[in-house]
Amino acid sequence: MLKTSSLKLLSKRIFYVQPLSTQVQPQERLQTFRTTEDNPLNHTSEHIGQFYKLSPDAKKQLFLHGGLPKSFEVQIKTFTESCLMIRQPSIDIINCMKVINYTNPVVRFVLYSKKGNGKTLSMAHVIHYAFEAGFLVVHVPWVGNWMRRCKEKSNSEFKPGNIDLNVDAAAWLMHFKHQNSHLINNSDFKTSQDYVWSKRETTLKDTPLVELIEHGINRIKFASQCIVALAEEIKKLSQEGKCKTLVAIDGFNGFFYPNTRILTEKKEVVHPGNVTLTEAFLNLSKCDWSNAVVVVTVDELAIAEKDQICCLPRYLLGKKGFEHMDPFVPVPVLAYSDKEFKSCMDYFRERRWVLPVSGQDEELQFLSGGNPYRLMQLCNSL
Amino acid sequence: MYNSVPLQQHALMSQYPSYYVKPVFKKDVQEEMIKSGEAQKLAHVPTRAALNDQTSSVYHDDIINVLINYVMKDGRKVLARELVEKTLEKIKRLQLERYHKATNIEDKNKIELNPRVIVHKAILNGKPLLQLSPIKRGGVKYQVPVPITDKRSQFLSMKWIIEAGNEKDRNTRFYDQLAVELIDAFNNTGRVVKRKQELHKQCEANRAYAHYRWS
Repeated sequence: MLKTSSLKLLSKRIFYVQPLSTQVQPQERLQTFRTTEDNPLNHTSEHIGQFYKLSPDAKKQLFLHGGLPKSFEVQIKTFTESCLMIRQPSIDIINCMKVINYTNPVVRFVLYSKKGNGKTLSMAHVIHYAFEAGFLVVHVPWVGNWMRRCKEKSNSEFKPGNIDLNVDAAAWLMHFKHQNSHLINNSDFKTSQDYVWSKRETTLKDTPLVELIEHGINRIKFASQCIVALAEEIKKLSQEGKCKTLVAIDGFNGFFYPNTRILTEKKEVVHPGNVTLTEAFLNLSKCDWSNAVVVVTVDELAIAEKDQICCLPRYLLGKKGFEHMDPFVPVPVLAYSDKEFKSCMDYFRERRWVLPVSGQDEELQFLSGGNPYRLMQLCNSL
Repeated sequence: MYNSVPLQQHALMSQYPSYYVKPVFKKDVQEEMIKSGEAQKLAHVPTRAALNDQTSSVYHDDIINVLINYVMKDGRKVLARELVEKTLEKIKRLQLERYHKATNIEDKNKIELNPRVIVHKAILNGKPLLQLSPIKRGGVKYQVPVPITDKRSQFLSMKWIIEAGNEKDRNTRFYDQLAVELIDAFNNTGRVVKRKQELHKQCEANRAYAHYRWS
């Protein structure tokens, strides 16, 4: 009996080795794990599990100031190309975005999953789609950067008791301007009201939106308040039908987690509700406007380690946040299915990142449990 | 003089009585034993539990396990393993960078991408053939060239590689430096190979003392 089982193993192994040799028929292999359809407008559920190439230009415009995880950036450099896997959650959201009636109030999607399942990259795919489809992209790369490791803070002049994050806010304005550089010079984009910053500085009605942003970048002191104004303007512009908007916020639950690392001068913890930036982005994620889509992720990594108990939206958003987002469409990002896992390993092998060894797939699938980040880490040292 | 007396087989505080045999944990060895019928003999012999670095993974590697143990300080094995894994990763990244830089296919095929092969070859390239051992004759200590066992030679090679990895400025990481040293040693260049050659040169210079080994 032992002998037959070992024979079985052997025969299995021989069959297994053959499809692994990537050099024999590269053309045929390409079909299965890579798609030549690089435009996210044409991605359908048939492409699920396949990799598509994010062109360097699009990557530069969309993710120059963050938005892709650091470890993924390292991989991009090693692989000399940036490829994203087309996965179920992003395809679901894109399909919805294609058929939504944009006159109705905004639909809000909440991506959630365990750590390392690919929320951020699914969102990157959605952002790329929105970019190609001509949406105005309002993208926050990582709320944790503001609530957990902010660069500088000061008291707000406009609302006593509020805290401004000047440098971070200005950096975000740069990011926004860079991401939408092809749309923002549109002559329709004008302010709808006067903004008085100080005695000498005002932004008048009907000045181009670019000038408002420029003002925030140049006068760092007003950057936070500028974002609040910008959010209001974007809402109005979309409602008037001048642009379609995608609001994408990574680590959205950071806006509701009371235990931030921002401290006042008296070393008191600042509640995120007292941060000016929160006001702007909570305003954008309300459902009182139309002609837009909101995609947010809730992530355990955006909160303190001791509270990382559960990855579900109700826990992470808390009561207040859940009520704020209600009603929303929850989109779970699951671990790799067998097909996705196979395709990912084939991609690694094609990039020469992992060398083919018989039996490696079963072992790695078992060790990683299908978790993409864990798989990447395991493959690093092979 | 270099001591070649075999070490004691079991520690005094061993958990296992001496008649317990060591486990066979490698899959291919097991399969071979099943084929040759040897496995049947072991069926009812009391066996030790496998150690925690003995796995039947397809990536199990004895030499790299030894390297991990040599890197380890104060029994912090998780850290040591992490460092070695990061070294392997760095080797792969460096080699892949070279791979993508190469323009024609011949050059590309020449570049070794398997980090394990690189580590093995690097350790092999760093192994000395002789060593110097101080021997007192007539009140004077002479550095006498003596032959070296395979195990000791491997130890020296790994020790030199790790020392070379530690010799760096504060801003570089140990694993980055170690990766560079390993790739250098793989190409038969670098500090480790130089150190080996210097030892050989010393041995050659002191060949006149060689007879002190036995007289």
